[in-house]
Formats: sequence, structure tokens, C-alpha cells
Amino acid sequence: MKPEVTPVDRSSRAPLVLLLLCGLSWLVAGGLLGLVASIQLHSPGFLGGCEFLTYGRMSALAETAFVYGWLANAGLALALWILGRLAGEPLRAQNWALFGALFWNLGVAAALVGVAAGDATGFALLGLPRYVHMILLFSYSAIAVAGLLAWSGRLRLVAYASQWYAAAALFLFPWILSVAHVMLFSAPVRGVVQSIAAGWYAQCAWTLWLAPLALSVAYYVVPRVTGRVLPSYEFASLGFWCLIFIGGLTGGRHLLGGPVPAWIPSVAVVSCALLLFHVSIVLLNLRGSFRGGGIALRFISFGLLSYAAGALADAATSFQAVAAHTEFTYFDEALRQLALYGAASTILFGGIYFAVPRITGRAWLSAGLVRAHLFLTLAGILVLFGSLAAAALAQGRGLADPAVPFADIFRHTRPWLVAATAAQAALLLGNIALALNFAGTAFGFVCAPEAAAFNPPSAMEAPPP
Amino acid sequence: MKSNAVFFLGLFGALLISWACIVLGSNAQLGSQAPFYDDNQGTAFPQWMPGAAARGELVYRDLGCAACHTQRVRRPGLGYDQARGWGERQSVARDYLYQPWPQLGLSRAGPDLANLADRKPTAPDRDDLLHMLYAGSDDMPAYRFLFEERRVGRSAQRSDEAMQLTGALEPRRGREVVPTARARDLVAYLLSLKSDYDYPESVPYVAPGGEGAAEPPRNTGGAK
Repeated sequence: MKPEVTPVDRSSRAPLVLLLLCGLSWLVAGGLLGLVASIQLHSPGFLGGCEFLTYGRMSALAETAFVYGWLANAGLALALWILGRLAGEPLRAQNWALFGALFWNLGVAAALVGVAAGDATGFALLGLPRYVHMILLFSYSAIAVAGLLAWSGRLRLVAYASQWYAAAALFLFPWILSVAHVMLFSAPVRGVVQSIAAGWYAQCAWTLWLAPLALSVAYYVVPRVTGRVLPSYEFASLGFWCLIFIGGLTGGRHLLGGPVPAWIPSVAVVSCALLLFHVSIVLLNLRGSFRGGGIALRFISFGLLSYAAGALADAATSFQAVAAHTEFTYFDEALRQLALYGAASTILFGGIYFAVPRITGRAWLSAGLVRAHLFLTLAGILVLFGSLAAAALAQGRGLADPAVPFADIFRHTRPWLVAATAAQAALLLGNIALALNFAGTAFGFVCAPEAAAFNPPSAMEAPPP
Repeated sequence: MKSNAVFFLGLFGALLISWACIVLGSNAQLGSQAPFYDDNQGTAFPQWMPGAAARGELVYRDLGCAACHTQRVRRPGLGYDQARGWGERQSVARDYLYQPWPQLGLSRAGPDLANLADRKPTAPDRDDLLHMLYAGSDDMPAYRFLFEERRVGRSAQRSDEAMQLTGALEPRRGREVVPTARARDLVAYLLSLKSDYDYPESVPYVAPGGEGAAEPPRNTGGAK
């Protein structure tokens, strides 16, 4: 049997641990900011006396820390690790990745300071002030260099699905960000075309960057843990190209009934429905993850279910008849959380539980913290989505009746928003457990068992609950 | 997937298609839109924002007001926008022609503001808006940092700008609360938000066979 910790893992430890450490720190920081924003939704006076703590800025801060801090760092770390492992040789251009990681995180910190000071752009998923775009662009490209070198130096001529998704995410994000920068900031388009371009960016950031990062992890970990060839693998490339070609066209669904040409939301409806084809192929390929087996698969299977449910709900709410009730309500927020947290983060959690023992050469420090994290995350996401959806229902019903004043709508949604805050707190606790466990494992504050002592893959896993 | 070149060209092509289709396509359609010149009134619409309102838009953006307020009225028949009195017609692209950063918004935790200054039957005036910003409400935070509390002499006259506050909000004797320049700009911006001019493209389309089927939709534009 081949040893599970290979020289490839050991030699590329430094940039991967740095990226993961930064990612988990941002996850906790973003969770705190998100908790404050979530409290402000039901108690508007909370911390409202300070300008930089108002809800508008707080929600932008939480989103920026979560997407560009946590998802980007963790996704990049796992993408580099997967590409390096499948290349079968130590990661090349590690200094590029190391410096890229350093400057990426400096850029994210600068973005947060800028948003708190009032430089937010007001665009969804692109709250980054314009002056950090360049540093993020170049540092991301520097990190991507290491990944793309690993891609081009791969062992086999035919790449695997996880490599396609990782390489696509590494290659496409700099293009998306630079196009958005030109069209929205350096030579801004006029009027509502800005909103269309911003919607295009937000949807591309999800379908061409964050979702591929997560899917790359799922496509790598599932066959490794189950020890089987992926079923119906010959369809995987169809699913990949479906996502890449259709994904960018779904940006208009938030503009339904807005002051834009009617064909934009119409294209989005069709594209959202076509994306279901991609989702069904992903589920078909990765259905082995639902049979259980280890902590990593539990997270990943939950993430895949959230991914499918989110895509289904996206398609449903892009129809005018449904959108008339759900548009502008908390349902948008619920779907955003389901995608970014329920799908992308959970799959990355699974990837981290699989990868960290192999990267650091030590088994997880505490199985109790792992189980606490699993429980808090799954319960937190379900409660968060459920309560936001219930709030959206109450809000949609109230809005539709012109006799109901906004104060009454607020009274009806408030209990659900309080429940959403409780869910955010649970998620934050779970993430603190993960961060502590990671720090303890990676830096060996406490003597963790050396993973090299036992080689079967199952020994790398924390025992399933 | 054997060829690197085909793979990356495919990725690039996919991105190019969606960008060209969505962003360039809409820019080709709307990017060269001109203001509408009304012969009867001898002026063009939309009108430029006054300077204070343009500064106020920056305040609106940097405080993230769009996190809870949309600025787009949907067309009659789609949703509740007309029933809530937010505007008699839908917002059209031309309304945003002179806004450097249109803030369409995604959430209606608060009411839509696209036509705030021309709401029927009553639109809020300057004092209403300042009071709302200072006092907040159950479902809206107070923005006290946009106001300044300062001392006035015991017998001195209060500033013209001083807020008329009663009850718990009333400042101590010898003090007064005045809006800062940012608050005044923000309110000027909110008061500039009105879609009171009917462009040809904003007249609701009447389906053939319905009421007024004998004549085609009025296509001339005009002020109410």
C-alpha cells in the first residue's frame, strides 16, 4: 500500500498551511461580523452609534471577509494541494504562492478597513474598494502560477475532473475581476448597465470561481475516501462545460422586473434551468458520498445536497410567478447563505478534514472538536436557511398586502431573524472549534499523534460520530 | 481533456461569450441612451441632480443604505409596488442616466425609494426625513452620527438649522441638535429621487383586446 503522506505533501506544506491558517482566521472574523450584522437585522439600534458599525457596512464587511478571506484562501489551498498531488511532484513556484498568499491577505485586510471607512462599492459580492483590486488581482495570479505549473506538469496526459475544476477557478477569476474592474471602476459603463455588469460579476464569481473550487475538492476527495471509480464518469466533462458555458449567463435573475431590457432576466431563467443539468451530473458522479464513511464525506455530502437544493431554488425563483413573492425578501439572503455556506464552505470543510492530516503529517488533535464542528455546522446551516426562509415568507406576505405597514412586517419577521442570529452564533462556535483544532494540529502546541505511524487512509479521519 | 490549449481556450471562450452577451449586449442597447427632449416643456429629462444631491448619493452609498432599500419600481401588474404608492409607473433605464452609481438594491427590509419625493398622496419633506434619520424607528436604525449636538448660550437664539425635537429626544437646555453637511446632502439626494416624468417607454403596455384596444399605446411622453 502506498503511504498516505507523500513527499509531495511534505514539501508543499508552507504555502498550504499559511493559506489555510489565514482562511480559518477570516472565517472566524467574518463569523463575528456576520453575527453583529444578523443582530442588527432584528435590533436595528445595536451598535448603531458608530458610523463604521452601521448595518449597511457591517453586512458588506461580513460578506467580504467570508468570500475573499475564507472561501478564497481555503479554496486556493485545497486547489493547489489537489493539483500538486495529481501532478505527482512537489509544488513548483512555491515562493510565488507564499508571497501571493501574503499579499492576498494584506489586500483583504485593506479591503475591510476600506469598507469600514466607507469606501464600499455597494455591489453584491464586490464590496471591495477599487484600490485593492490590483493587489488582489496580482496576488491571486501569483498563487495561480503554482497551480497552473502543477497542471501543466501533470503525470497523466488526461486530466481528472478535480483538476479541470481547480484549473478553471485558478485561470478564470483574474479575468472576471479585471473585467469587472474596467467596466465598473476605471471606465464605468453608464446607468443601469452598471447593475447588469455587477450582476454578471457576482454570478461569475459564484459559478466560475467559488463553485468550481468546491467541486474540485468534492471530485478529489469522494473517490479517494470511497476507494471506487466515480460512476458515470464519462459524463463529468459534460457537466463541467455546462457549468462553465452556462454559469456566466445566469446573472440577470436578480434584475427581474427591474429597469433593464427584459431579455436579461429571460436569459437568466433559461440558464438557471440548464444549470440543473450540470447539477444532476455532479450528483450522479458523486453519489458515492451519500453512503457515508468518515467525517470528510459527511461534510461533502451535505454540501452537495445544499448545492443541488440551491440550484433548484435559484431556478424556481427566477420565474416571474415565484419571484413576485420572493424577490426583495430575505429569501435572497437565505439562498446566498445556502450557496456560500451550505454548499461551498461545507465541501471545503470536508476537504480540510481530509487534507490537513496529509499536509501536516499529523492526525487531527481532537475528535471531539471535529464532531462538535460537524454538529454545529449542519444544525446551524439548516436553522439559518429555515429561519431566513420563514422570515421571507412572513415578509413576502406582508409586503404583498399594501395595508400592512413596515412596522408590522418587521414585527412578524423578528422572531425568525432572532432564530437566524442563534444559527449564526452556532456556526461561529463551530468554526472556532475548527480553527482551534487546526492550529493545535498544524503547529503541534499539544503533542498530536504522528500520522506517519499509521498509513491506512481511515486513520487520517477523525472517527465518525 | 488532453490539450492544454483547447482547454484554456474553451474556458476563455466561455467567459467571453457570457461577457459579450450580457454586458456588451446590454451596453450596446442602453449605453448610448440619450435624455428625452420634451418639445412642450423645452427641456430634457431626466434632469441633472443638484450638487448637494450628487454629494448625498455618495453618503447613501458609503453608508450602505442599499442593503435594505431598493430603488426600482416594478411595472403595474408585477407585485405590490403601485398598491404601496411607491410610484405609478415602472422605473426605466433612462431614470438612472445621470446617476453615477445607480443603487438598485436587492432587499426590501425597508420601503423602495425610487420615487420617494413624489409619492402619492403625501411625500415626506425635508424635516420628516431629517427626523427619521435622527430618531430611527423600530425597524430602522438611528443615524445619530450624522448630527451634531452643540451648545448655545442660555439666552441666545437657536440656529435655523436646529432640529425640532420633543420628548426623550429633546436635548438638554442650552444645547441644540443640528444636521451635519452629510445629513443635509443625504436628504437633498433623497428629495431628488422622483420619477414624475413619463417617458415613451415607461407608459404601460396595454394588451390588445383589453381596454383602449382601439388605439395603440400612447407613445409621446409628457409630464403629469
